[in-house]
Amino acid sequence: MVVAGGQKAGTFQVLVGKIDDVLQYAIGDPLRYLANWGRLYSLWPVHLETACCSVEVGAAAGSRFDIERFGTLEAFGSLRACDLIIVMGTVTRKLAPRLKLIYDQMAEPKWVIAMGACSITGGLYFDSYNVLRGIDDIIPVDVYVPGCPPRAEALIQGIVLLQEKIRRMPTLSGR
Amino acid sequence: MKMALESEYSPDADRIMAVSLGPQHPGAGHFRIRLWLDGDYVVKALPDAGYVHRGEEKMGEYRNYIQNVPHLERPVILDSSNILFAYSLGVDELMNSKIPPRGQYLRVIMSEINRIISHMYFIAIQGLFLGHTTMITWCMGDRDFWIDLGERIAGARVTFAYIIPGGVRNDIPDFAIEKGLKTCDWFEKRMDEYEKIFYDNPMVHQRSDGVGVLSRDDAIAFGATGTVARASGLALDVRKDEPYSSYQDFEFKTPVLTQGDSWARAYVALLDMRESVKIIRQALKGLPQGPVRLKLGPQPRVPAGEVYSRTEAARGEMSYYIVSDGSPRPYRLKIGVPSAKNLRALPHLLRNVHVADIPVIYWSLNYWPVEADR
Repeated sequence: MVVAGGQKAGTFQVLVGKIDDVLQYAIGDPLRYLANWGRLYSLWPVHLETACCSVEVGAAAGSRFDIERFGTLEAFGSLRACDLIIVMGTVTRKLAPRLKLIYDQMAEPKWVIAMGACSITGGLYFDSYNVLRGIDDIIPVDVYVPGCPPRAEALIQGIVLLQEKIRRMPTLSGR
Repeated sequence: MKMALESEYSPDADRIMAVSLGPQHPGAGHFRIRLWLDGDYVVKALPDAGYVHRGEEKMGEYRNYIQNVPHLERPVILDSSNILFAYSLGVDELMNSKIPPRGQYLRVIMSEINRIISHMYFIAIQGLFLGHTTMITWCMGDRDFWIDLGERIAGARVTFAYIIPGGVRNDIPDFAIEKGLKTCDWFEKRMDEYEKIFYDNPMVHQRSDGVGVLSRDDAIAFGATGTVARASGLALDVRKDEPYSSYQDFEFKTPVLTQGDSWARAYVALLDMRESVKIIRQALKGLPQGPVRLKLGPQPRVPAGEVYSRTEAARGEMSYYIVSDGSPRPYRLKIGVPSAKNLRALPHLLRNVHVADIPVIYWSLNYWPVEADR
């Protein structure tokens, strides 16, 4: 083992390195696992309706599909407490600066679901003069849920995929 | 803006606080209201629409008449059949085509199913804004039975794209007729329960009686349509005034209330749904035999001319002004939507009300921003 400075490691440094590895396995990983486990079942979405996909989000939050049983809370509350944006459809030129502002106001770690064809590529409105061709240009997207509008089941699948991503998040602090 | 307002209210300029409600706000989706508050009272309110302006009218000019169908139903996704109904009526009139009777009846059935779907969403969210959680839970669940019925007829969940120029896209399967009649019977009993738990609820009465009153004269002055006009004592209903697509065959009433407050505007929606159920039942039982649409081909030739067509959508009068110059695409496509007409009353209604009443009044107008912005 070689430590910084290029010298050959003494027994002490080797011991410290070993203890570091042991601590990483014994405390770091369980801690990260525990924190991510807490995060993934208490996703709190921002209430930002951008276009017509919000109807399907409403249906998914309703009593038939009920996304709360998958660990997504109701979309009410302060931006500082939110950690998920579901971009529900078309983002226009007027809304785009607000979307960026809302994303910047949220605390880390935070995730984005792009719901509907419009928020992925512009969808049906790809040739409209007032519509963004996908939201990737302004905020980073974690999960894409295609459809026009996606069914409530598709949104649930998107949330489950996002939870899988959060579970495998390599660091404790987020991105 | 702020300066002008401060001079307007100069004695108490320090007391006035400017607040922006939305676009990220549980009470205002894809829409913003600029508010000037004096304590808990609203001094002035200005709606700021246009967050979902997608240029539907311009897009309509570079797509042909059939390609226009999918994107024209997206603005009002809750009520997707009725916005296409007006468009199809306009194109049919330009082409001078006679729709077969079965097609006309199926158009009526789908239009009324969509009216129920839209009103269910409306009263669900009205219940949410009044703090009545039972209503949103019930209505969002029950709404799905009607969506299922629409799915059995048209094949898609909310964007049916069923009513097209020349008739309807496909015939109704037999099991959907049975399911439709069963859904009608079940839903009539269900609406009695809504009345008991929501409309007769003292809490709901306290929160919405006399809140946001729009008088009959004001409703005329602001040009209100649909549920807003009918709650204020105006018997406006295009289905009665100018019957289109065999609406004259059915027996139904136009519910009119005179209170003009938030409660009446929510109650008119329920009365509307009762009439819709009657129409659906009559249409399903008396469905004539025959073809459901005319063969138009993928790129129909529409003769030159102009037409103004209108239907009664869930929110009010939906109108189209289509100009054709004989080419495969429309020369001009103007959409007149009921939400934009009803929005004019909002600054008037939001004067001298409590901040807590803003969501109730705003949503009682049955305002759908995506529709108003086009």
